[in-house]
Amino acid sequence: MSEEIVISPKTRRMLPAKSMHDSNNRLYREIAKRPGFQVCLVLLGLLIIVAIFAPYISPYDPEAISVRDKNQGISSAHLFGTDFLGRDLFSLTLCGAQTSLLIASVSVAIALAFGCVVGCIAGYYGGVVDEILSRCVDLLLAFPGIIFALALLAFMGAGILNLIIAITISQWAIYARLMRGQVISIKNLEYVQSAYTAGLPDRRIMIRHLFPNAIMPVLILATLDIGHVILSVAGLSFLGLGIPPGIPEWGSMIGAGKEFLRTAPLNVIVPGLAITFVVLIFNFLGEGLRDILDVHKDQVNIG
Amino acid sequence: MSSPVLQLTGLSKSYGHGDIFSGISFEVGSSKTVGLFGQSGSGKTTLGRCIMRIENPSSGHIMMQGMDLARMGLRKLRELRPSFQMIFQHPEVSLNPRMTLAESVAEPLMVHKGIGMDEALKEIAPLIRRVGLRDEHLARYPHQLSGGEVQRAVLSRIFSLQPKLVVADEPTSMLDVSVQAQVLRLMQDLQKETGVSYLFISHDPDVMSVMCDQVLWLDHGNGVMYDRTAFLDRVKTEYTPVAPA
Amino acid sequence: MTLLSVQDLNVRFPSGEGTVHASRDVSFSMEPGEVLGLVGETGSGKSVIGQAIIRLLPTSAQITGKIRFDGQELTSLPDHTMHALRGRSISLVPQNPSGSLDPLVRNGMQIAEIFIERGTVKNTAWEKACALLVAVGLIPSDQIAKEYPHELSGGMRQRLTTSIAIAEHSRLIIADEPTKGLDYHARATTAQVLSDIRTRENASLLLITHDLYLAEHLCDWIAVLYAGEIVEIGPAHQIFTQPRHPYTQALIKAMPKNGLVPLDGQSPSLMAIPKGCCFADRCSCHSEICSKEHPGLIQGSLNGGVRCHHPFCS
Repeated sequence: MSEEIVISPKTRRMLPAKSMHDSNNRLYREIAKRPGFQVCLVLLGLLIIVAIFAPYISPYDPEAISVRDKNQGISSAHLFGTDFLGRDLFSLTLCGAQTSLLIASVSVAIALAFGCVVGCIAGYYGGVVDEILSRCVDLLLAFPGIIFALALLAFMGAGILNLIIAITISQWAIYARLMRGQVISIKNLEYVQSAYTAGLPDRRIMIRHLFPNAIMPVLILATLDIGHVILSVAGLSFLGLGIPPGIPEWGSMIGAGKEFLRTAPLNVIVPGLAITFVVLIFNFLGEGLRDILDVHKDQVNIG
Repeated sequence: MSSPVLQLTGLSKSYGHGDIFSGISFEVGSSKTVGLFGQSGSGKTTLGRCIMRIENPSSGHIMMQGMDLARMGLRKLRELRPSFQMIFQHPEVSLNPRMTLAESVAEPLMVHKGIGMDEALKEIAPLIRRVGLRDEHLARYPHQLSGGEVQRAVLSRIFSLQPKLVVADEPTSMLDVSVQAQVLRLMQDLQKETGVSYLFISHDPDVMSVMCDQVLWLDHGNGVMYDRTAFLDRVKTEYTPVAPA
Repeated sequence: MTLLSVQDLNVRFPSGEGTVHASRDVSFSMEPGEVLGLVGETGSGKSVIGQAIIRLLPTSAQITGKIRFDGQELTSLPDHTMHALRGRSISLVPQNPSGSLDPLVRNGMQIAEIFIERGTVKNTAWEKACALLVAVGLIPSDQIAKEYPHELSGGMRQRLTTSIAIAEHSRLIIADEPTKGLDYHARATTAQVLSDIRTRENASLLLITHDLYLAEHLCDWIAVLYAGEIVEIGPAHQIFTQPRHPYTQALIKAMPKNGLVPLDGQSPSLMAIPKGCCFADRCSCHSEICSKEHPGLIQGSLNGGVRCHHPFCS
């Protein structure tokens, strides 16, 4: 047996052919078992492409007003019809997707990052640090989400940046609390104690040992939350807060189009369906992820 | 005669409603193994954790290399960490599930010497071979390994820091009989080769009598030290075995 | 009449990576009032046998072979008949008692539930439950009955799940690793409880364990399992004093009181059973025939047997 060990990048990442529980292979196999989840992944991919390239793939300029074409039904010229100002609903929907997804993913991402850091620190250090941070979290959680965002927006004024800020502030606390709970449940496990007794610095313990093992449930929550945030943004825009006029957004489309519900229902139905569709995708994704990542359910004790 | 590696004086730990243990005093000599014996709830694990400063003792002294661990600040403690290490009871959670064995084993050395992973692995290659692990083990994740393999990896990780004292908290109680024999013999061999001292915590009298020169018996918070023969005598009187069928 | 007869039991689990052949051609029998130990290490397939008998394996498991209990063929029984048998004629003391006890139900109620479900009045059921607690040594039974599982120690929880298993005076009790995770003292108490049950109830006990101390003190017969098959079976005292199979010999020598002699290597993966004898690559008496030909179970005297080309070798 040679004394020298050669760990090439290949060996390091290679999982032996006969291993029983290859984590990557298992993930692929679990996904392969779930056609519904695969469909969701494909739709998510499409959604992301649409969100990024919306202005380029829209057949019409979403802001192009053409009063004589107003309130038309579905036709070959206008796939989803036109709204009360003659704007193409299909183009508006695509660009609305860009708006919604941008706001939702940016705010959730920042809230997630911030919340996880706070939660990890609170859970790891405990004591006074935990007390202070947890009270801040509790304070924020005392406000119902959308009301808080509403109040912040009323204070700060409308605008996409303000909307992102308001939503981030109202969202991060729940991630912090969940992350803290996760960290507390794993920090007394032997491998974390080993890292501590090996004299590893706190930062390294948190980043390499706590974070990766605690984050899964929080990530799943964040996936589900993107859908909720899209709904909240739509709600706020419906009320006239948040999105400045001129930027396509599904909620504000419903808000503006609600008086035409009887006469030209497409004004409301099209953005409404868009919201439903996207929220459902994220819900199924979140649920599917939770199911896939449930490691224990297939294990049998052979003894 | 060389000074003891570890010296406890009057160590106590209480949790408000009562003492877990009190007035514990004993020594562990160089290259020696002292056992901590007791039933579940006797405080032996807590005593081990206090020595490792995972928990803090209420009073008393833990002398190591002339310094009192019990009162030491965290920064100084961290510097001293390589000298005293711990091996735990449950192999299934002893290694980070999201790190390969190579990463787990090399990590302490990487951090303490400030070197990269390849360099660290090269340095501890003989140790990894010594504990009986091969390249294919190193590429795997903990859940792909048996309990015995995990405990070997933990031993190579610990010994990479060249400790003077290792606290072993029931390291083999979750392992099968034949695997237990492998791991315990390996620990004995490593002791002969490196001169490390062990504080061996267990509830199994047979394992204790094989591994330990002396045994501290923890009972209702008090510790009494026995040598091997006296220990076995007390075991015989206190535990009458079940009558054969 | 033989109480339990297992013949050529094979259990396979299809998985994404291949088929796990957890039990291979397992055959043994038990008389009324007898204690048989299925002794083996991790990966030997011993727990699967117990689960197969009581039919609690996952539906993906493929089972072939015969399991006759009290004259009835269990493998072909309809589900509701098996359900009636389970808990009554055959009961299981499961592994990991903490996981089997509902943390929100009082200890007494965990037992009493069984009687209440079968129609007994609550007061009578509670009294019966307290009597069972006394029977397993959990006293004062009134106090313990009112407490919750988390207030008991590991050993006491083990005794509680044991009392649930004997509630219906089962004729066959399957105990799956009853001393796992218990300290020396709790292990001795559990052994005593099981021994008392065997005497008092005249029940047969199928003891699945890797704990050789327990097997030595409790069992009449022992079957040693390796890589899913029985490699040696015989009277308990013979297994310990005159083991025939090299694996059994190695196992006994590995015990701390017998010298802590290590056994190198690992048992083979149940997905890739080697040709020939499974133990060949770890055996000191290994010869050419061992790698080529799979040894059959040679019957010895007294109905014991050993699966080896060179029994009594070392």
